Amino acid sequence: MTETGRYLYAIARGLDPQALTDVPALAGGHLEVVEHRGLGAVVSSVDLDEYGEEGLRRNLENLPWLEEVARGHDTVVQATATQAPTAPLRLATICLDDDGVRERLDAWHDALEQVLDRVEGRMEWSVKVYARPRPAPAAEATRPAASGAAYLQRKKAETEARQADESSTAMIADEVHESLAARSVAGRRLPPQDPRLTGRSERMLHNGAYLVEVDEGVAFSALVDELATAHPEVVIEVHGPWPPYSFATLEQT
Amino acid sequence: MTQSPDATPTARPHYSPPSQTSRPQPANLADILERILDKGIIIAGDIRVNLLDIELLTIKIRLLIVSVDKAQEMGIDWWRNDPMLNGQETTLADENRRLRERIEALEAKESGD
Repeated sequence: MTETGRYLYAIARGLDPQALTDVPALAGGHLEVVEHRGLGAVVSSVDLDEYGEEGLRRNLENLPWLEEVARGHDTVVQATATQAPTAPLRLATICLDDDGVRERLDAWHDALEQVLDRVEGRMEWSVKVYARPRPAPAAEATRPAASGAAYLQRKKAETEARQADESSTAMIADEVHESLAARSVAGRRLPPQDPRLTGRSERMLHNGAYLVEVDEGVAFSALVDELATAHPEVVIEVHGPWPPYSFATLEQT
Repeated sequence: MTQSPDATPTARPHYSPPSQTSRPQPANLADILERILDKGIIIAGDIRVNLLDIELLTIKIRLLIVSVDKAQEMGIDWWRNDPMLNGQETTLADENRRLRERIEALEAKESGD
C-alpha cells in the first residue's frame, strides 16, 4: 500500500476551510485545514513515493516537476492569503499525519501568532530596477585610433564613463528603495537576480520586497509609477500583490 | 500557459486587491522560486530533505531560474540533456557504463604496454 503524508502550504488564522474548496491542491488532492489553538494549517495529502525523502531528493532535481509543484504551492498560498492572515511555508514541508501537523502548530504557536500579527491586512509587492542598456559607442569611437596613446586615452574615457554611469544608477536604486520603504510597513533588498534568470539583458540594480497595507496597494503602485517617470534612465517594474513571503519569517531564537 | 480559473478566487473579502493592480499571471518562475525556496516559514516536518543538498536548487536554480518556456525560447535546455534533471537516470547509467568500459580499455592497454 502506498503511504501518504500531509503537505503543508501555509498557516493562517481565522480561515474558513470552505473558502478553499475550489482551489486545486498538489497531486490532484484536495485542500483541508488542520486546526489547533486558533491556528489553521492548509494541507493536502501527497503520496510519499513522490514526496518522501527519497522521492523529493530525486524530484527536486527535475525542473519541470519543481516548476509544477512551485506554482501549485504558490497558488494555494495566494488563495489562502486573499482570505485570512497567512504565513506561507517553505516548499516541501511534510508531516506524516494530522497529529504531526498539530504538534508543529503547538510547538510554534506563539512565534506563528507574532508572524501573523505582523502580516495581517498586508501584502507583499516586488519592485525591480533595471539599468537601461547603454547606448552604442559614438561613430568616432568605433574608428581605429590614430595612435596607441589615443587608443589608451579613449579606453580610459570609456571606463570612466561606465563607472560614472554605474554609480549614478546605483544611487537611483538606493533612492527608489528609500522612497518605497518609507511608504511601506517594511522593505527588504533581495539579491538581484542573474540576467540569465530573468531572461533579460538589462542588469538588475535592485530587487526589493515591500510589505504594504492592503488599502495602500494602489498608492504604492502609483508611487512606483512616479519614481519611474522621475528616473527615465532606469526601468522600474512592480509586481504584486504577493502573499507576504519575504516578511513571514520566524524570529531566530 | 493557460491559467486555471480556480487559481484566482473571485470572492476576495477584505483582502481583495483592486483589479488594476492584480498580479500578472502566471508569475515569473524566478520570483516564485526565490520566495518559496528562500523565504517563508521554515518548520521541520517529518520528511527531512535539506534543500541545500539539492544540486539543482543550490547551484543551477540560483544561476538560471527561468520558466521552462522562456528557457526553451532562449535555447537554454540544460535539464533536457542533464540526466540528473530530466529524470532519465538510464542515460546517466549508460554514460557511466560507457566510461567504465573506456577506463577498462585504457587500463588493459596500459598493462599491455
